[in-house]
Amino acid sequence: MSDTLSTISTLIIEGKFADMISITNAALEEGLSADKILNDGLMPGMDHVGAEFKVGNLFVPDVLYSAKAMQAAMTIIRPLLAETGVETAGKVVLGTVKGDLHDIGKNLVGMMCEGAGFEVIDLGNDVDPEVFVEAVKEHKPTILGMSALLTTTLGAMERTIKILEGAGLRDKVKIMIGGAPVNQDFADQITADGYASNAATASELAKELSK
Amino acid sequence: MINSNYTAQVTPGIQLLSDSQKEEIHSATLELLRRTGVKVLVPEVRDLLKKAGCWMDGELVRIPPHLIDWAIRTAPSRVVLCDRIGNPAMELEGRKGYYGTGSDTPFVIDAYSGKRRKAVLDDVGIVARLVDALEHIDFLMCMGIASDVTAEISDLYHFREMIRNTTKPIIYTAWNRKNLEDIIEMAEIVSGGAESLRRKPFIALYSEPISPLTHANDSCEKLLYLAGKGLPVVYTPGLMIGGTGPVTIAGALVQAIAEQLSGLLITQLIQEGTPVIGAGGILLMDMSKGLISYAAPEFMIATTAISEMYHYYQLPIFSFSGCSDSKSFDQQASAEGALWMIISALGGGNLIHDVGYIESGLTASYQQLVCMNEIAALVKRFMRGVEVNQENIALDVISEVGPGGQYLSHEHTYQNFRRNWIPELFNRSSNEEWKTEGALTLGDVASAKVQQILETHKPQAISKDVSDALDTVIKKAENRVK
Repeated sequence: MSDTLSTISTLIIEGKFADMISITNAALEEGLSADKILNDGLMPGMDHVGAEFKVGNLFVPDVLYSAKAMQAAMTIIRPLLAETGVETAGKVVLGTVKGDLHDIGKNLVGMMCEGAGFEVIDLGNDVDPEVFVEAVKEHKPTILGMSALLTTTLGAMERTIKILEGAGLRDKVKIMIGGAPVNQDFADQITADGYASNAATASELAKELSK
Repeated sequence: MINSNYTAQVTPGIQLLSDSQKEEIHSATLELLRRTGVKVLVPEVRDLLKKAGCWMDGELVRIPPHLIDWAIRTAPSRVVLCDRIGNPAMELEGRKGYYGTGSDTPFVIDAYSGKRRKAVLDDVGIVARLVDALEHIDFLMCMGIASDVTAEISDLYHFREMIRNTTKPIIYTAWNRKNLEDIIEMAEIVSGGAESLRRKPFIALYSEPISPLTHANDSCEKLLYLAGKGLPVVYTPGLMIGGTGPVTIAGALVQAIAEQLSGLLITQLIQEGTPVIGAGGILLMDMSKGLISYAAPEFMIATTAISEMYHYYQLPIFSFSGCSDSKSFDQQASAEGALWMIISALGGGNLIHDVGYIESGLTASYQQLVCMNEIAALVKRFMRGVEVNQENIALDVISEVGPGGQYLSHEHTYQNFRRNWIPELFNRSSNEEWKTEGALTLGDVASAKVQQILETHKPQAISKDVSDALDTVIKKAENRVK
């Protein structure tokens, strides 16, 4: 492996986002392809971070720093990947459902997904079902993620799915849901494709669902 | 900016006694020693007390108040214990607290089978290795009376086993003066001579007066030998309220302090400046069972109060923590242990022992010990209190994030989150994750931690020469008791 690629991995692991632009450009100048930078530099770094997080050696802020570093590199290489037709992890549209202003969990999922190489479109909080549907039409994401903290707003998830079905878009996108009152039973009940109990497993689930 | 009379930080603490109450308890203690006195069973010690001006009546010694005040002033306010290598490890003074194990339990809960059985020499080594590995356990007392070595000199075997398995300071016990002399010979070998041991003591003897109000033969003999050498000693009573002391805490305090301070006087008469760790155990006798309780609230109150008295005297304090009356490492053991851990921290004792005791001090539980290590970490976080300064108030950060923003990915969070406590054993997973990981209880996790330490932790070894020399001391002692 080239030194530059291993440096990229290291910088990702250490969350040195400020250095990512210059190192990514340097790698491209060396003649390394965007594809190679992604798969042999960035991803091994993020995989390591994910594994260390799982066993408790790294923590949420560490992972977010690494995710920021990943994001910085992706701003440069994503257009190049698109040009060459290389498949990337895909897009995730995220939002906290109608009536709910709690968005820290959803933000965390967004950052984790960016760290996993997804392009994330965050619709914010208190999102109308119709806005979710419009976003699916416009961005054509692989994943639609919905979050709720309040039991009273859970119903909005089911309504959104119903509206997507009505618009003939349900089979175009995988739906994952999360939030404190949500569980697998509820996900099954409203026919979501997946449920994750925390942000780290959410980004893994997103990867799983987009396969 | 000028900011006058600003107090930078207050850490948590308890206060039970007012200044007037402390004076009243001290007066009563002086009066008890003047009027009733203490029994001293060794003539050599009685001679010292007589020469100093005590009133003698056979074995009974009545003590004039000024002598007690002299002893309080003469004994060191700080005792530094080193590690086995000679580096300072514990500064026993003021409100600086250190946790350690308890001593001499006849039983242990086996690390693998989970069954209660008689303690053997290996168990002494196991506890020493656990203490050596556990970050928040600062000193070792020999937890376990080895049933598989010559009983008359098992204390020597304990001492060698502890030396072999930890570098942390050791609070040891000795069955009698002769054994104590052998133990000190071993300690001097380890330290590199008598002078080195005196200058950098890594050990302190635990010894006690017998309640009520008696300095027994062995206790006096041990004090004569150790104080003669100027080596540190913990000399504290273990009084049972309602049994060997008054049932009321105030009375029990007065008696325990009288027992301790008359002992302190003896040590200072033997040699001024002898390092002594004081205060004492004031345990509840449970009146429904007739047994001692190690986790009664009365014991906790009394421990806190006697610690306050010794802060008032500016003398180092022996204290209690992390122990339980429960028969196994269960919910009661963790609840009682945890309550003790915070109370002893708040109370400000220095040498805080008995961590890992269950069954009222009869059984050592390794699980309890590793669990209390976890609690100690939590307690240390709590005891830091609130650090109020410009960086921690972080007005700029709050302003930058603004309404509706998030702090998770902010540099301020990244730079500071590690200052908050991160549990090692306690579980904060989601229900799903917890189930996936095997739905482990704290007991399961604690057992695994014990086994992991025993299988991986290698304490710093003693040299072959030292080891051989220690063996020789024990061989000599074996011949002596044959």
